[in-house]
Amino acid sequence: MSDTTQSPIKFTDLARDVVLRFADMGGDSSPAVRIQVSSPSPLDPRYEITLIDDQEKCEEDLVFGQQGFEVVMDPESAKLLDGASVDWVESLQQSGFKVENPNLAPIGSKPLEGPLADRVRQVIEQYVNPGVAQHGGHVTLVEVRDKIVYLQMGGGCQGCGMASVTLSQGIERILKEQVPEIVGIEDVTNHSAGDSPYFTSEK
Amino acid sequence: MPRVLLLFARTSYRAEAFLEAARRLGVDVTVGSNHRQALADFAPGATLTLGFRDVARSSATIVRFAADYPLAAIVAAGDDFTPLAAAASEALELTHHPSQAVRRARNKALMRERLSEAGFSSPWFRTTRLDEEPAAVASKIEFPCVLKPLALSASRGVIRADTPEQFVRAWQRIRGILEQDDVVGRIGRLASELLIEAYLPGREVALEGIVSAGELRTLAVLDKPDLMDGPFFEETILVTPSRFPEQVQEDIVSLVSRCAAHLGLSDGPIHAELRVDADRISLLEIAPRSIGGRCSRILRFEPDKSLEELILRHSLGMPHDDFLREPGAAGVMMLPIPAAGVLLEVVGLEAALEVPGIEGLEITIPLGHTVVPLPEGNRYLGFLFARAETPDHVENVLRAAHARIKVRIEEA
Repeated sequence: MSDTTQSPIKFTDLARDVVLRFADMGGDSSPAVRIQVSSPSPLDPRYEITLIDDQEKCEEDLVFGQQGFEVVMDPESAKLLDGASVDWVESLQQSGFKVENPNLAPIGSKPLEGPLADRVRQVIEQYVNPGVAQHGGHVTLVEVRDKIVYLQMGGGCQGCGMASVTLSQGIERILKEQVPEIVGIEDVTNHSAGDSPYFTSEK
Repeated sequence: MPRVLLLFARTSYRAEAFLEAARRLGVDVTVGSNHRQALADFAPGATLTLGFRDVARSSATIVRFAADYPLAAIVAAGDDFTPLAAAASEALELTHHPSQAVRRARNKALMRERLSEAGFSSPWFRTTRLDEEPAAVASKIEFPCVLKPLALSASRGVIRADTPEQFVRAWQRIRGILEQDDVVGRIGRLASELLIEAYLPGREVALEGIVSAGELRTLAVLDKPDLMDGPFFEETILVTPSRFPEQVQEDIVSLVSRCAAHLGLSDGPIHAELRVDADRISLLEIAPRSIGGRCSRILRFEPDKSLEELILRHSLGMPHDDFLREPGAAGVMMLPIPAAGVLLEVVGLEAALEVPGIEGLEITIPLGHTVVPLPEGNRYLGFLFARAETPDHVENVLRAAHARIKVRIEEA
């Protein structure tokens, strides 16, 4: 376990107050908070923030001082959280900590620009969309990150029982042939929200 | 890189799971389906359009295709394409259940005949043509009985009758189902006949397995804890491991193994349904395919393998015996459709997902679409998935989550 002073992560005043309030409720005079990246997927980054005891710290953990409590992270999470900030949000429906992390910005949050994105978009417009339009569908480029193309399917493709076939046997093959540096295709469509799928599944 | 031909009906629930399994195995894939893929022109060899009724013709198409794109395996995801997968595999000498065995197992009357002749304990049964007079048939049989289409799955068109009057009404209802275009298109001449057999009391159980060179490997025995005593036989909850005593489970495995062998199901997945009543175990059916719908999601094998991956491994001659089902219990609930009409709203999904132990929920019918309950219905409203330490806990979790889901249907 190594103690450092410069925390890679910042707590807002409100988040810090909440941590101290929770610790106080538990009678903890020297609280420690573990922050862990439980899912690093840019499609759905997830974090776990928990108050821990001293016994729950591990040898390899990195420990950082905040105002009034310690922040504990495993090395991998510390790397992924460098520059992140933690806030506390409250609404009628839910309340909880919210992590803003530039390293794991959700897909679609970055501007769609650059030569690779332009080429992918051109292939989609030239080959893919005229084809899937026959089934009332369309495909939109959401982002190209680390040579992975993130796509959204709409119209007849959204919720279609054969969408995965269209993706792997059609779109992926076309894109990899036309833009060989692409290493993967990810479908970020919420298929359960599709209201006019071309094929719906049956028993 | 070996190439596998995956056969999906265009309405299959299973495409994504099989494609993911193939991707993980690093095999090349061609998808055969009964509709032309929208992007087929731009991806030669990636897809193949095939009919499932004309098996000889489609099999010849596959053999021609294999001359350009050699195939290492052919796997059908569901019932419709199983006869074609068997015939084409035979023609190309690939690992699969033989055609004749598939034909016997898919036709519930043929299966009953074959097993009964071999001395397996069977309920009384008879096959009748739908153009016979139902009242006359009813006068010659015992009650309670069950009327079944010969080749539909997931209890579609299966109705219990306790009296001649109920029998006639059930007959007419099933005739309505079997005259539907989609059914005739799928099962052809089998839509003109009915199987009638004794109603078997007891709890229902399913067995999922892979037969390899004639040896059954049981992957899971799954309980169906809801009482299924008719008049319709809607499947809802499936939970594994089974809570039946070990000896009963061994007897289930033994019966399925012997029935599969007798039918000639020698190489491929099987899904068997049975009834257990005290000490008596009766086979309801044994299908030459894996479990339907999205239910396979609850079956995971260590380290990190899906049922679909095991099936592909078997068909490709890769090792598949060493993967054991993950410890703990798992279950799925096929969400019932409460009424016929138009699906307006499904609420409570987030609340259902918050029940500890629930690990997934999928609604598979879009809002605004028509919903039809059993016995006519051919779609599931959706699926709830749970995982916990014990099967009792899984069952409770599924029921608790389901209680939070409210379905609003504009009734027809």
